[in-house]
Amino acid sequence: MQPETQAVHLAHHFPSLRTQEQAARLGMWLFLATEVLLFGALFTAYSLYRYLFPHAFEGASALMHTSWGTANTLVLITSSLTVALGIHEVSRGRNRRATLYLLATLAFAVAFLVIKYFEYSHHIHEGQLPGRFYSFAELQVAGASMFFTLYFLMTGLHGLHVLIGMGVLAFLTVQVWRGRYGPGYYTPVELGGLYWHLVDLIWIFLFPLLYLI
Amino acid sequence: MAHGTSAAGNEEAHHGAARYVVVWLALVVLTGATFVAWRVKLPEPWHLLVALFIAGAKALLVVLFFMHLWDHRGPSRLVLATSLVFVALLIGLVVADNATRFPLANPPRDGNYVRTGILPEPAPALPSLPEPPRVPGR
Repeated sequence: MQPETQAVHLAHHFPSLRTQEQAARLGMWLFLATEVLLFGALFTAYSLYRYLFPHAFEGASALMHTSWGTANTLVLITSSLTVALGIHEVSRGRNRRATLYLLATLAFAVAFLVIKYFEYSHHIHEGQLPGRFYSFAELQVAGASMFFTLYFLMTGLHGLHVLIGMGVLAFLTVQVWRGRYGPGYYTPVELGGLYWHLVDLIWIFLFPLLYLI
Repeated sequence: MAHGTSAAGNEEAHHGAARYVVVWLALVVLTGATFVAWRVKLPEPWHLLVALFIAGAKALLVVLFFMHLWDHRGPSRLVLATSLVFVALLIGLVVADNATRFPLANPPRDGNYVRTGILPEPAPALPSLPEPPRVPGR
């Protein structure tokens, strides 16, 4: 990219584009740290109730579809690969290939949500619901409803992050396709990718804790 | 360091896309490993520990290579590490609190439930109370 085009992206209070990128990256990591703390509170609640009701959690976890959870894990780590490859292609100036990789990421995100939809509708159908809406007759145990409360809270908040990430990636895909970013400047794509990897990261811990008890 | 700059020091030139594919393969293998470890049902502490260890290894791969903390030294690493330390403190102290309470201060641990065949261990049977002595004259 030409120096003039780089200058378009450089805010006046930064001495160079490089400093600006490092500041932007640090800002993104600070935001991701608050996300870690947000989910950390839910992981704390999970740890506490699992400690209090170990057998109920084991019994409730046996009701999960581990094959679907595993499939979703594979879908998300593959989407992390495609977004990383997409950023790599932008940094090489191959925006066409980058667009395809980002579109593939979006497709994986849709696949994740479709599988999640089938899981949710199964649990809703069976009455495996949070709090006092829990009505699954075959597992009437103190703590079983807590498992499903945490399941819906954690996967629900994670699903919301998937939706937000899809919005961010869709915007970036259009920008990359239009050639807004290139080897000279692609910080927004990199930061959007970081957000998507965080979504993957949280699922990496949700998967064993909810499905593999 | 030099992501997003056209400077000559762009470290992506050194590894390229192949590294991402290798990391992805490792993630797939680890996912398979944790699934297998779940199926064989390891004895109690190991069941959870192995699953968490594998999840930690996967997370480390994502953070280091997909999120580039291997290349980006400095404050980003510190920010992530700090947030993780505080989450570990929160979880550790909350569980330690409940683990060291007077037992009756916690809800009964799986004591009162209807057994339905899903749970792995039978519920402890309540001791049957002796018949109350008959009061003469009633």
